[in-house]
Amino acid sequence: MKRKLLPVLMLCMIVFALSACSGGIPAGQTGGKPAKLVIAARGGSHVDAINSVKEDFEKENNCTVEVLGLEAADLKQKISLDSQNKVGAYDLAMADDPWMPELFEAGIFANLTELGYKADSDFVEESLAIGMHPYGKGDIYALPFAGNVQLFFYNQKIFEDNKFEVPDSWEDVLEIAKKVNGKDGKVGYVIRGQQGNPIVSDYLPILWAYGGNVFDENWNVIVDSPEAKEALNLYIELLENGANYEKNDIVAAVSDGKAAMSLGWPSWYISGETATAAYAPIPGKVSDSSKLYATGMIGNWMMGVTANSANKELAMKFLIYVTSADCQKKAAEYGGVPTRVSVFTDEGLNKKYPYFMTILEGTRNSVIRPRTPLWTDIETAYGAELSSAISGTKSIDQALADAKTAIEAIMKK
Amino acid sequence: MKKSTGIRKKAFPYLMTMPTVIILVLLTIFPLIFNMYFSFTDYYYLSPKNINFINTDNYSNIFKDVYFQQALFNTVKFTVLAVIAETIFGLVLAMFINSIKNYSRSMRTLTLLPTLLPPVTVALIWQIMFSNNYGIINKILSTINIKEINWLMDVRTAFYAILVIDIWQYTPLAFLLIYASLQTVPKVQYEAATIDGATSWQQFIYVTIPNIINGLIMVVLLRTIDTFRLFDKVNILTKGGPANSTATVTQYIYQYGVKGLKVGYGSAAAIIMTLFILIISSLYVNKSLKSGR
Repeated sequence: MKRKLLPVLMLCMIVFALSACSGGIPAGQTGGKPAKLVIAARGGSHVDAINSVKEDFEKENNCTVEVLGLEAADLKQKISLDSQNKVGAYDLAMADDPWMPELFEAGIFANLTELGYKADSDFVEESLAIGMHPYGKGDIYALPFAGNVQLFFYNQKIFEDNKFEVPDSWEDVLEIAKKVNGKDGKVGYVIRGQQGNPIVSDYLPILWAYGGNVFDENWNVIVDSPEAKEALNLYIELLENGANYEKNDIVAAVSDGKAAMSLGWPSWYISGETATAAYAPIPGKVSDSSKLYATGMIGNWMMGVTANSANKELAMKFLIYVTSADCQKKAAEYGGVPTRVSVFTDEGLNKKYPYFMTILEGTRNSVIRPRTPLWTDIETAYGAELSSAISGTKSIDQALADAKTAIEAIMKK
Repeated sequence: MKKSTGIRKKAFPYLMTMPTVIILVLLTIFPLIFNMYFSFTDYYYLSPKNINFINTDNYSNIFKDVYFQQALFNTVKFTVLAVIAETIFGLVLAMFINSIKNYSRSMRTLTLLPTLLPPVTVALIWQIMFSNNYGIINKILSTINIKEINWLMDVRTAFYAILVIDIWQYTPLAFLLIYASLQTVPKVQYEAATIDGATSWQQFIYVTIPNIINGLIMVVLLRTIDTFRLFDKVNILTKGGPANSTATVTQYIYQYGVKGLKVGYGSAAAIIMTLFILIISSLYVNKSLKSGR
């Protein structure tokens, strides 16, 4: 009897364990309890920023706001997978700006314009445009939650000791790199040459300064243009007078004075009121006499209401609240970067966070990455070829020609 | 009465194994069939209503893709080097620890520690050790006047840096399996060999190796299957670069399939990888079946 009882008990345990794996209560079906909003957010300071302001909203609207902090690749995958559920697990989701065309095409975000939202002119125009589909002119699907634009970072002490002026052309950058590199073990210019998104993000501002681009206005691939070859040549010269590090090493090198210069995102060097390196807009021209181009790569984090949210109205109310000027002012103390002109230009905040005006200026002169849902694949292929060029396994001409072939094949799909 | 008892007795084992079979079907057989089916389609996860049957286009595109070819070459090269190194080092470690009388238990425990760590933790620890700015390896090199090496960003060193990490982490596993085999070698054979005047080397070749050959083959098979699926270290440390020199088949599947939610393309690449591993492991399975008869 006992022998038969044990296997039966084990069988019951397995059945109970499997039944416990069923899903929880979908969002919105709270059975009379306060409503709950779930936000899929990029981990780090963005979560701190949301948590710093959500309490008042929760009290006023008798709801709870749960914020899930996720790593970037994980965030994109989770919101994409959840979008196929009838009722989403997330009511709001953050998204990086290059993802937006792909997410628009997949219908992941709800149309805020159709839900009654009117465009707010206090948002920086370039940031608000990212959340529109088509870009810059269509309905609004997402609002800019965190401002971000690439800047030029340099070590103040190296510049002061050598009486360098902040360069406004890439030839000046190269000249400074040559003067610094190798002296007392210092590195001139640090590139972020890791294959994929890092090298593409690091190289594109230089390409734009030469007047080049990935596509022309008719979506022809022009990564192998004469301007692109010159830009890549300069990039390799910068490497020859510097080093190729991954992100943490770049920040440590420039902050500690081991390296003189690099490009980077504000959050790398700036936390609250302190910055570990000096910063300036990215040089927009090749030489003093050449044409000036916009070169700062914009990289805003957007937030939208998911199309399958069971709490769309409440979620939109929270979205408007969390991107309001008051909330952005409060969130700045927790690492939040604003996206509203009134917040950027606030006198009190500017005294505390002097980088705000640099980011505003950078955003107004920023360049957005190509608005194609295939950008992830393009970046992978482009990054591989750029990596080949800087590693010396392919010549500049060959690498860019192969990049063009690969990108054209992707665009044909 | 006797008939029903007989039927119950015959049915009982099937009833008891049914939960396992159900789980096996749900978690292994069904996903395999799912993958095989969608590998012949252009299924994009975010467009589930627009799935088209495209015959073997995914397979031919994969084999024609230069990035896949390079990933396959890297994977085979990595597997061969890692398996040889881990087996040899594992054998040397096992022989050494088997030969010591004192503290062998402590040595066994310490030796196994790297294998107990999660692969992601190992990758992050080594990333810090390889760091240009605060990495201990470059600091040691600088004390002997060797210029810092950009271990993970230099096309000449990135592949071998990841190889070293893998050898460090999984040699203890090889050691464990070989050490277990060494315990089954009859001591009388060593005594007989000694009486016959065999040297240590001759004893190793003619007594030790023949007795532990199955263990060695098991190590080679398991490590071949595991290293062929290398992903964590590459994805964390190099993303397949520089210049695709560390790209592996699994990393290719992730980069060009899973990450972009291209279920069809990713499934085809996964099936190709599964077939490679099946071919490799079938050699061992056939040998085991023959020796079992």
